[in-house]
Parts: sequence; structure tokens; C-alpha cells
Amino acid sequence: MTKILNILPLVAFGVLIVVLYSFLTQENDQLESVLVDQSVPEFELPSLEDPNKLIQKSDINQLPALINVWATWCIACRVEHPFLMKLKNQSTVTVYGLNYKDSREKALKLLENEGNPFEFSIFDQSGKLAIDLGVYGAPETFFIDEKGIIRERHVGALTEKVWKEKFGKYLKDKADA
Amino acid sequence: MIPEVGHILLITSLVLSLFGGLGPFILKKDLPTKKIALVMFLLVLGAFIALIYSFLIDDFSVAYVAQNSNINLPTYYKFAATWGAHEGSLLLWILSMNIWLVGFIIFDKNKNKYFSDIVFGVSSLVIFSFLLFTIFTSNPFDRILPITPLNGADLNPSLQDIAFTVHPPFLYFGYSGLLLPFAISISAMLSGQSNQEWASSSRPWTLMACSFLTVGIGLGSWWAYYELGWGGWWFWDPVENAAFVPWLLSVALIHSLLVTEKRNLFINWSLLLSIFAFAASLLGTFLVRSGILTSVHAFALDPERGLFLLGIFSFFVLGGLGVYAFKNTIKSQNSFYSLNSKEFGVLLNNVLLVILAASILFGTIYPLIYEAYTNGKQISVGAPYFEFIIFPFAILLGLVQGVALYLSWGTTKSFNFITKLTLESFSVFFLTLLLLFILFENLIATSFFIIFIFSWLIAGSILVNLRFNSLSTYVEFINRRIGVLLSHLGVAILVLGVGVVSSYSYERELILGPGEGIKFQEKEVELLGISNSMGSNYISKKANIRVSTNKGGFDLISEKRTYIPSGQVTTEAGIEAGIFRDFYVSIGDNLEGDSWSFKLQTKAFIRWIWLGALLITLGSFISSIKLLRKQA
Repeated sequence: MTKILNILPLVAFGVLIVVLYSFLTQENDQLESVLVDQSVPEFELPSLEDPNKLIQKSDINQLPALINVWATWCIACRVEHPFLMKLKNQSTVTVYGLNYKDSREKALKLLENEGNPFEFSIFDQSGKLAIDLGVYGAPETFFIDEKGIIRERHVGALTEKVWKEKFGKYLKDKADA
Repeated sequence: MIPEVGHILLITSLVLSLFGGLGPFILKKDLPTKKIALVMFLLVLGAFIALIYSFLIDDFSVAYVAQNSNINLPTYYKFAATWGAHEGSLLLWILSMNIWLVGFIIFDKNKNKYFSDIVFGVSSLVIFSFLLFTIFTSNPFDRILPITPLNGADLNPSLQDIAFTVHPPFLYFGYSGLLLPFAISISAMLSGQSNQEWASSSRPWTLMACSFLTVGIGLGSWWAYYELGWGGWWFWDPVENAAFVPWLLSVALIHSLLVTEKRNLFINWSLLLSIFAFAASLLGTFLVRSGILTSVHAFALDPERGLFLLGIFSFFVLGGLGVYAFKNTIKSQNSFYSLNSKEFGVLLNNVLLVILAASILFGTIYPLIYEAYTNGKQISVGAPYFEFIIFPFAILLGLVQGVALYLSWGTTKSFNFITKLTLESFSVFFLTLLLLFILFENLIATSFFIIFIFSWLIAGSILVNLRFNSLSTYVEFINRRIGVLLSHLGVAILVLGVGVVSSYSYERELILGPGEGIKFQEKEVELLGISNSMGSNYISKKANIRVSTNKGGFDLISEKRTYIPSGQVTTEAGIEAGIFRDFYVSIGDNLEGDSWSFKLQTKAFIRWIWLGALLITLGSFISSIKLLRKQA
């Protein structure tokens, strides 16, 4: 009996470690979007900046581009925010925002305070376009090539490293061509 | 050149720490541990100085410097930027562990050389694993070559603040201090030390680590109060919890070790708590630096680092618990104590603190579990959960603490003190209410309960001694128990601060243009004007605010700073600090023209929270020093 009690803490921590390990290795890559290698779906949604202005697929015309799904309630989005600002400043790609299930007021306030990395943001309060894109949660980033085809998808915060590993190759191709 | 020297020093200390770590287990003979520990310390110190130097001379070819400093950053912050992000703070952490180890080797007077060699070995292994982690995944000396940035990206602006530059070193020093109780408990189990001996070796270091953790957490809370602009002092942020959990466990350990040393009891508690406290400190590091939890404190997100840290955590925690389960040579024994003994008080303290720590840890990682099992739905376990959890525990712990200092070992014979304690508690209670009524002209019923706990704690920690018949015996008593009294009094003060600030605080958000005013909490508040100014690396909008009462007034400045290198915006609150009440103004957003939104707040007794933390820090520090002296 005492023997079992002695081993108990070991077992409990073993379980904790397995759980933590599973969180860590749970790669988001498994969530291949059905839309990879397909064109951006048609949509018509209001702009975040101007409720009266409708944005369509044809407005996403400065390619290659990123569509970044973000929201003020999403903490990881704050983490990737400085990196998006950097992309904007280096003008490597155009970044379009998809403001997802958010309040317009809060979203605009955040952009004002933290800077706005987006060419414009699509205001998708009901998650309509997000469903068409197969969005899993915020933050999420799609890479659209020159022909308007979705080439890559990343779930989670966009960092320098992710950028190099997953998105860098598309821009290199461009430089080679 | 200098960064390479730093790099080489790190690699040398890596090799040496591996030798120091394996030596005691393999060679099993007298090792010159003192010399090795000193050399290891000097090597890491050298590397740390090399990094500081790289910051001071703006060596932006070093990636870490380029990412966290800027040519225009004030010199003091260049210095402090050394530990401003992941790589450098890790190096500081390793340096702290080396300082603890040197301290132990020099001051510990345990006569069994094998015991202290194993403590040295375990500590060196931990240092080795952290060095390995640093060199392979987070090397602060990595260069960006051949193209060197000219300016550097800048230190995170929120960190450009005095309190924040000193908060991490204290905290890391506290965290890493939990290494010693861990190593001591492992060594005790392997070497079969008598409980009295190993517990007395462990106590001063546990107290010291707890002292540094307390001041580190306290400074962080104070910083958040005036820098984040929300006027809050605790946010239940995952990283705050990552510091709070080891703190709770170290407090439990301090009490448990006392019983182990004096009464040869609670041996399993002390051993396990030593392991748990260190585990919690490692787990906190893992949670913060692996990127699986994001928070205002988040470090670079990198799954590989996470895996490495999880490896370190698993090795030491499972190793420690493995020793506990299979190689434990310490015999625990049963002896009897009654329900009205000091032992039972400490047992309650341990049980409550451990359950509380586990609940907070659970709340911290629950969002991850939820996310994993609901296919990515995110929830946040916020303040309501933690406040709901902590309240009953705080009450129970307070009730136990109030009587525990009166109880005797084994069994308490006389219960005369109960009447006295109750009487004193109620006197303090009514005096406090009277004070609050005089100060704020109203009484808020929701605060009564906590104020009563405060009174109970005051009666239990200070007034208990007034039964002495002469002043000299009283002075002698205070002198003898000064550490215990200060830290327990600190808990009482902290409880009062928390209780009053949560019920006697007022806030109001409003829009003001220059020349406009408003009445808030019987004060006339007027925005005199908004002015622009330049700092060395930021531009700022300063709101000058005049607050006048019928007794006089004061001016406050709240600033909105835009840091040039990063474009990041911070708010500096304007605070008129007072013992009983802070007046707090923070500037919000520019609406139109010169109109800005403002948040006005009054925070009653908020200073008492940090005063309490300071007393706990001082008390445990003094106790630690006294124990070390007694051993010498």
C-alpha cells in the first residue's frame, strides 16, 4: 500500500507531462484546408473601416497577398501583430485582414493603438467568409499567389520562423522568375 | 570578438557542469566542489558580462542585441535589456543558479561530505541542462552576418521602466533558488541524512528563495499597476500564475520543513514539496517560453524550445519522484500529535496551500485542455474562476494562521488564548471600521469579512505577545521572532489591502477637452492642456491634469508615449499616491481635436498590498539570515 502511494506522484506527473507533450506536438499542419491550390471563394462583405462599403473577391487584387484572420479577442493575434507590421513596412506582400466575429468599434480602436498592417480589413461578423475558407480559429493566415490561388495556410501566430519555413519559398520563386 | 568569448565561456561552463554533475555519482569520492562551483560561477558571470558589454557598445551584429536594443535607447535600459527577452533572461537564470550553488557550498555546515556532494551534483546537472538549452536553442551570442542592422529593433517599450528592469532579476533569483531545496531533498533521500540535518540545511535556502520570489512578484504587480494603465494590481495572467504557484508551494515547504526539523514529522510532505516547488518553477518556465500559452509576458514562440524545456522538466521531476518512489532511504515514522497542536496547524496550511496551488495551475492550463478536446474552441479562464477559488482558501488559511502561532507542539494545554484572541480581533475589527468610516465616510458591508480576517491575523501575529508582563521580555520576544512576526504581519497587511481596494475603489471613464472639468469623488478634476514632448526614443502627449479639493490640490501628468523604433504605444498613468488612497488618472484615446478619453480612479489602501509583500520579503529574509548564522 505504501509502495503504491510512493509511486503516485510519479504517475501523476507522468500524466501531466504526456498531456503537455500532446499540446506541444499537436501541429496545426494537419488541418490542410480543402481550399489549398484553389481560388479564393467569392464573397461580398462590408469593410471594417467603412460599414457602407462592400468588399468583393475582385478587391483582393494586389498579389501576392496574405489574408490574415484576426480579432481583438484573440491574444495570439497581438503576438503576431508586430510581425505583420514589419511585413507591411517591408512591403514584401500585401496583407489583407479578415476581422473575424469581432466588434467593429474594438477592432478599429486596436488598429489605431497598435498600428494597422492591413491594406484593408474585411468585416466578417457572422464568420461567413471564414466558413468558406475553412477557418479554424484566429489567428490564421492564407497565402494567395499572383494568380489568386491559395497556396498555403497557417493556423496560429505568424512568426519570423513560420514565415521563412512556410511562406518564404513562394516569394523566392517569384524572385527567380 | 567579445561575443565569441562569451560563447566560449558558456561552452566551457557546460563541460564543467557536466563533470560536476556526474562526478559525485560516478566517482563517489571527495570532489573539490567549492573550486568547481566557483569556477562555474565565474565562467557564467563572464559570459553575462560579455552580453552586457555587447549591449552597451550597440553591437547589432549580435542578433539578440539587435532584436532588443536600439542605438537611441537610454544607456541604463541598454544595460537592463540584457535580460529583457528570452535568451538573456535565461542566461541570468543560469547565473542565479550558480550564485545559489556557491552560496550553499560556502555557507552550508552539514558535516556529511557525501550529502553536500550530491546536492552539488544535482544542482550542476540542472545548470548543465539549462546551459545545453541555451547554447543549442537560445544562444544570446548568435551573430547576424554578413549584413548587420544599423539601429536595432528596440527593447519592448513596456519594459523601459525602472521597476520592470529590477523585477525579473529578483523573480528569476527566487525561481532558481528553489533549485537548492530540490537538490537537498534528492541528496537527503540518496544519502540517508537524518531529517533534522537535511531539513535544517534546506530551511534557510527555502526562506531566501521565497523572499526573492515575493519581492519579484510584488515589483511585477506594482509595475503592472502604473504602467499598463488599467489600475489593476493582479491579472491572473498565466505568467503571474506561473510565479504564484511556486510561491504558494515554497510557503507550504517553509512550514513543513520547520516541523520536519523540530519534530521529525511531515517528512514525505517536505520531500515532495521540495520537488513540487522546483517542478512548479520549471513548469512556469516551460509554459511561458514554449509558446503554448500566450499572455502579455509571452516570450518568443517556438515549439522546439518547448520540447527541450519539457525534456528538462520531465528529466528532473520524474527523476526526483523516481528517487522518492524507489531509492528513498529516509524512514518516515509515525508519532502522535493532537488536533490542537502546532503540527496540525501546519498540516492544514500544507493541505490548503497545495490544493490552492493545484487549482491555480489547473485553471492556467485548462484553456489548453479545452482547446484540445473541443477542436480548437478557445476559452479563457479569467479572474472570476481564480477569485472564486482563492476566496475560501484565503479565509481558511487566515483562520488557521490566526491561531497557529498560539498553538504548542504536540498538544496545546491551555486554551485561554481563545477568549483573548476573539476579544482582540473584535477590537481591531471595530477600530479598522472606524478608521475606514473616518477616511471614506461610508462602510461597505462586502468588505467586512475580509477586514475581520485581517483583524484575526493582527491579533494572532502581534497582539499575541502583549501578554508579557514586562517591556523587556516583550522586546526580547520580538527580537527573537522578528522574522516570523514580520512575515505573518505582512500577510495581514496584504489581506487588508486586497479587501479594501476591492470594495473602496471607484472609477469613471470620461471625455475631456482642454479647460474642461468634472467632479469626481468630491474632487474637481480639470484638464489644463495637452502638450507634446520628446523623449530620447519616443514622442509623447502629456495631459496636465489639476485635481483640487477644498483642502488644496495637486497636478498630475498622464502620458501617451509612442516609441519611435517600434511604433508601439504605452500609457504612463498619473498617480497621486497616498497611504490610504491613490488618485489615478490614465489617458485613453484621442477622439476629436484636443479631446481625449480619460479614466479616473481612486484606489483605497492599494499601497498596503505591496507593503504586505515587502514585510513578507523582509521577514523571510531575516529568518533565513538568522538560520544561516546559527549554522555557522
